[in-house]
Amino acid sequence: MNKITHLSQCKLLIVFAVGSLLVSCKKPKIEKAEPWGFNQEAYFPQPVYTFANNKQSYERFQLGAALFFDPILSSDSTISCETCHAQTHAFSGHNTPVSQGVGGALGTRNSPAIFNLAWSPAFMWDGGINHIEVMPIGPITNPVEMNETLAHVVTKLKNSEKYRKLFKKAYGTEQITDQLLLKALAQYLVMIISDNSKYDKVRRGETVYTATEQAGYDLFVQKCSQCHTEPLFTDYSYHNNGLDATFTNDLGRAHITQLPEDEGKFKVPTLRNVAKTYPYMHDGRFFTLNQVLDHYVSGIQHSATLDPILESGIPLTGLEKQQLIAFLKTLTDYDLLNNAWLFQPSF
Amino acid sequence: MKFYTLLGVAFATSLLVVSCKKDKNDTTPTVATTDQVVLKIEHTWDDSLEFALGEDLVHPVTGDTLNFTTFKYYISNIRLKNADGTWWTQPNSYFLLDLTAGITASVTLSNVPKGEYTDVEYVLGVDSTMNVSGAQSGDLSPALDMFWSWNSGYIMLKAEGTCPNSSMGSFTYHLGGFTGSNSVVQTNTHNFVGNSLSVTGNGACQIHLTAAPQALWSTIGAVDNVSMVHMPGASAKTIASDFYNSFEFEHIHE
Repeated sequence: MNKITHLSQCKLLIVFAVGSLLVSCKKPKIEKAEPWGFNQEAYFPQPVYTFANNKQSYERFQLGAALFFDPILSSDSTISCETCHAQTHAFSGHNTPVSQGVGGALGTRNSPAIFNLAWSPAFMWDGGINHIEVMPIGPITNPVEMNETLAHVVTKLKNSEKYRKLFKKAYGTEQITDQLLLKALAQYLVMIISDNSKYDKVRRGETVYTATEQAGYDLFVQKCSQCHTEPLFTDYSYHNNGLDATFTNDLGRAHITQLPEDEGKFKVPTLRNVAKTYPYMHDGRFFTLNQVLDHYVSGIQHSATLDPILESGIPLTGLEKQQLIAFLKTLTDYDLLNNAWLFQPSF
Repeated sequence: MKFYTLLGVAFATSLLVVSCKKDKNDTTPTVATTDQVVLKIEHTWDDSLEFALGEDLVHPVTGDTLNFTTFKYYISNIRLKNADGTWWTQPNSYFLLDLTAGITASVTLSNVPKGEYTDVEYVLGVDSTMNVSGAQSGDLSPALDMFWSWNSGYIMLKAEGTCPNSSMGSFTYHLGGFTGSNSVVQTNTHNFVGNSLSVTGNGACQIHLTAAPQALWSTIGAVDNVSMVHMPGASAKTIASDFYNSFEFEHIHE
């Protein structure tokens, strides 16, 4: 939450570190003294990302940011990561049911909101991608998304004076490789952190819920938190939440595991910023939170893999739905939507 | 002459004292204690035909006509067993063998300690750790078309080509998988059948193995039975294992 302050502190510390260099013989340890980097709220779990293998620096983050916003990653220079993961939408799509790639090609799934990825053990709705560093290879090479090859992206970056300079600044080399490209993107992605919603402020004792929000929170704990576990609001498990009775359009998790018992299962999405990330579900079929709740109340489709706790749906009265939605809106993190340090770099 | 050398050493030592470098200057001349060993894998077809890419090869059992356009696979974690029973392991040992470059693939093992060796061990495929550790470089770069973008993991063996006997007209085997029963990662060990490889420093040590691409079809039979595999699973496991089991020790050179 206080990354901007950290930056000015960081400069001071660098001055101090350089000063101390003059009097000591120790190898400069500016990186260690630098406060730039991942930090987390005390009530968040340990991240799964191994930061030690991708030492963070502000220059690497900036390189990652430049890449994130640059359509150079796509075959016809029209699609960037930001195209389908916009900060104004909590890094999800622009309210379209499914993603749109090069030449207007439509994907088959809804662009997920990509924040708090350092805690995510798997990526994509079916969990097919196992590491944040290789995650961008999916959209870059998918014919209906960026339709590019990693090798060609590297060639384009090598031909760019801007990127040769940025890689030099970030990694001390102009030898651009796909590994450095992917590690730089990860540097930006892991810093997209949502931990300053009203929910978080209540959790830290900085504010309190309204009576309606509190009633909604109590309902949430009772009826939703089995899968949408606090504080990340997902337990990263896979469930069939009764959207369809057959799965010919999308096998979901079974696409990866090839197990019949995984048909129709998708990864539990986080509910953080849910008010800003419509439409909902893996195929973007619902446009309002009301429609989502109505689905759980009365729209459950039965099939062999339906999650047992949804067999009879989730009973909610009209008032309870209002209360629940009031609580879900406390999960909007306006800092995440507005933080300038996550903007597209000006270079 | 000696004096100047000594002076030089003294100067270098004094530099060491005033500088903060950690590395110790070893002034004694180093005698090489290691050598390279080349592991060669020759790919053979059958007694009557040489294996080659881009040529029609008749399968000796199924009779299918196969014309390979691609044959690439990973070999990794190469180890040599010393006569005293200890193992030497080559660090960062991951190699993508691409038969486009020739039907005999070579891997150079550098810095092998001098000694007598009796066995070679290697892994066909890429161990599970490297499949879940993010973006890698060199032969493990995900830009080499040997990495699945939508279902993370390495394509450990890629064999593609044409086959007029198949209804598809082709065969496409992208074999991978690193977990549970779908794992196609296999460790092979070969004893040098009573001989030992003397690594003495002459730079001439070689270990020769043979492998038989026709074994891809040992269990599945005709291409038409299974002409395309592009994800982990039982078919990938069967086809990869059959090929991996075709590796044989040929001979050693010193």
